[in-house]
Amino acid sequence: MIISSGFLSVMVTVALIVTMVSPVILIILWIKDWVKGQLW
Amino acid sequence: MNQVNSAVLDANTGWLILAVFSVIWVYLGWFWGRKEKGLDDFMLAGRNVGLSLGIATAMATWVTSNTTMAAPQLALQLGVWGMLGYSLGSVGLILFAPLAERIRQLMPAGYTSGDFIRLRYGTFAWRVFLVISLFYGIGWLISLGMAGGVLIHALTGIDYQLGMSVILAICVAYTLLGGLRAVIGTDFIQTIIILVGIVILAWLTIDKVGFEPMHQAVLEERPELLNLLMPAAIMFLFNNLLFGVGEIFHSNVWWSRAFAFRKGVGFKAYLSAGIFWMPIPIVAGFIALATPALGLNIPAADMVGPMVAAKLLGFGGAVLVFIVVFSALASSLDSLLAATSDLVLQDIYRGHFRPHAGKDELRKAARWIVLLLGIVTWLLCLPRLTTLASLLYFTGAFVASTIWPIVAGLYLKKASATGATLAMLSGTLVGLWAYFAIGFYVAALVSAVVSMLIVLVSMWLQPDQFDWTLLNEQTGEEVS
Repeated sequence: MIISSGFLSVMVTVALIVTMVSPVILIILWIKDWVKGQLW
Repeated sequence: MNQVNSAVLDANTGWLILAVFSVIWVYLGWFWGRKEKGLDDFMLAGRNVGLSLGIATAMATWVTSNTTMAAPQLALQLGVWGMLGYSLGSVGLILFAPLAERIRQLMPAGYTSGDFIRLRYGTFAWRVFLVISLFYGIGWLISLGMAGGVLIHALTGIDYQLGMSVILAICVAYTLLGGLRAVIGTDFIQTIIILVGIVILAWLTIDKVGFEPMHQAVLEERPELLNLLMPAAIMFLFNNLLFGVGEIFHSNVWWSRAFAFRKGVGFKAYLSAGIFWMPIPIVAGFIALATPALGLNIPAADMVGPMVAAKLLGFGGAVLVFIVVFSALASSLDSLLAATSDLVLQDIYRGHFRPHAGKDELRKAARWIVLLLGIVTWLLCLPRLTTLASLLYFTGAFVASTIWPIVAGLYLKKASATGATLAMLSGTLVGLWAYFAIGFYVAALVSAVVSMLIVLVSMWLQPDQFDWTLLNEQTGEEVS
């Protein structure tokens, strides 16, 4: 059961998008926590 | 494995990067630790950690050098399932999310996972758990310390003992100066570095090689890597899943964060960390599939990531990989150092030798223990005995045996001390037997199944009626 090039590209692209978005979300959350004085 | 000739950077560049990041991490450790107010501040960052730092620290700790280096290696050895199987390591983080919330609710004054086992199941079960947990913790510390030396040597040619000593010394220094606050603060920066680094590598791999040529070359040279019915890879998938769940559920690395997070943060932090972590092994791993298209000859499978990066991006790629690997190593090593020293302080020093020690004494002892643990790890890593690092492979049987005693202990009043103790002992022993008699890929699975059966049967034969308020050592108030 060999996966196609299309399957590989969809799998990696989805993973890449989530990995690209996650540092942006982390920084936005950090700014929100910092503004509220709730970092720690 | 890992000969100097696999180095993708020269030693001078390696030293420069190590020096720059050492100064940054140690300065931040001092900066965050300079206003430390007491034991809770040092051990648990004041028990008030917010969501952003909470997510990042869980992610950074779970992204070890193994993730960044072994994910491409697994992709090269086990193909698509190697990446997917590795990414299932995130299930442990996701499943721990409700547990983290429950732990914070039941034990607002708790310090370690050992505290929970002692209060929930009594002294004997606590000691059995401590043996398992310390064996795992020290095994992981040695494995990470050795990985630090091996990777620095492999990437830059810097001597193993020097590289290992430097990374260990840096982590000990900033953990000593700033406690868990320094660990969590640096984890945030390290997470961003790791994520940005692997995104750049993956993006450029796609841009310079492309999916179609990559797929075509793998299909011609290594078609088994694209096969979804590769049996060894499917077995790896299940074992990795259970090993990961066992590691997270029992280890004080994750419990200490559950205690450190502000009320209401634990669930969201672990759930988000699991979701964000899941794609990392795929993004870090798939670049290995570019090797046939690039015509690369890989001398050691664990060097595939850096070699692809160096081939595609030249000097800049090699520097990037070194920074990512260094960040991944430091983010796990510091967490493990802090959490294991907490366990030694609270459960061995205070629990067994100085039960009436005040917070000032414990605060001083905490620093000595971090230092001593660092020295012991350094001494054990010094001879580079690979047999010591391979101890970690056995721990699958140990840690998986704790899953059910912990879950049942947190949610079911009927779970008993006898059942939990027998479950941990029998699960470990039968899991170890399976490791040697059948193979590494069933140790965690067998251990978890045996442990589950014993917990279930003991609840049926001899149910306990546990009072949840006993878990709150501070006030004894109603918590559930």
